[in-house]
Amino acid sequence: MARLNDDAQWIVLMGFIVSFSFFFLALVINQSTVVGQTTAESVIEFPKNDIRDIREVIGESVKSDDLNDINDDISVISMQRKSAVVKYTNDTGTNPTIIEIHYNNGVTAYNETWTLL
Amino acid sequence: MKHTDGGQLYTIEGFAAALIMIITAFLVVNATSIYTAGDTHISDMQLEALGTDALKMMDVAPNSKISTNFGTPLQQIIEANPVDSTMFNTTFSEIINQGTFQNPNTIHYNATYTCRNINSDNSLTSNSITQNRNLTGGEHTVRATKWVIIKDTNGNVCDRDTYQAVLVEVLLWRD
Repeated sequence: MARLNDDAQWIVLMGFIVSFSFFFLALVINQSTVVGQTTAESVIEFPKNDIRDIREVIGESVKSDDLNDINDDISVISMQRKSAVVKYTNDTGTNPTIIEIHYNNGVTAYNETWTLL
Repeated sequence: MKHTDGGQLYTIEGFAAALIMIITAFLVVNATSIYTAGDTHISDMQLEALGTDALKMMDVAPNSKISTNFGTPLQQIIEANPVDSTMFNTTFSEIINQGTFQNPNTIHYNATYTCRNINSDNSLTSNSITQNRNLTGGEHTVRATKWVIIKDTNGNVCDRDTYQAVLVEVLLWRD
């Protein structure tokens, strides 16, 4: 095997360093397209509005005459349209009224005991 | 032990080969996960927040001292016989398409409500409220929902004339 020509080794080395730094810069640009994805996804996945809405409607239903029908409405429609298990007690016989709310959509579970004076 | 400077190019070549192999492995592993660009989700998030806020605004009762109508606009829309789609369209379109510029936004929606047939088999019925553009199936929609407690004295909503909870669902999308 002929003797290897070892001239210009520094130039070759610098060439490698520059080309690999280009590669890593390209990697950084590549990652910038997914900026905010995790944040936006977790905001969409977290059912903040659903839970607020459920609490609001449950609070409103307690004043109604047909609260047992409404209770079933909320459970059945939540299950079929929102894929969420919603159960709550509306025992208005006690004083103070204690409402236990259970919400679970498979990702987020929310439980609350609400005391209405 | 004496250090010689022979074989430096072989060392550089070895490093280069190692890096190429690592990069190849990285690209191959990375290629299996598919990322949608982050801005898709960001605009979805905004559209959902906008729709939810609009529905919430429509479910705020007017001042009962100055209005002869009781109940929130959303309750009145569903309790009306037939469902007051004109009022829904006017109110909802105005809220979601308001902008600071002269040209309005072009957000489209399709609104339905779902009630439960308590008198028959507990099945659900979804009825259309209105839409400002027909869904063709290719749209990328987000859903905003709102629970409303209504009392439809006409008995049109799932044949019930007592208080009941219905779910108003709105699909929103942009062109």
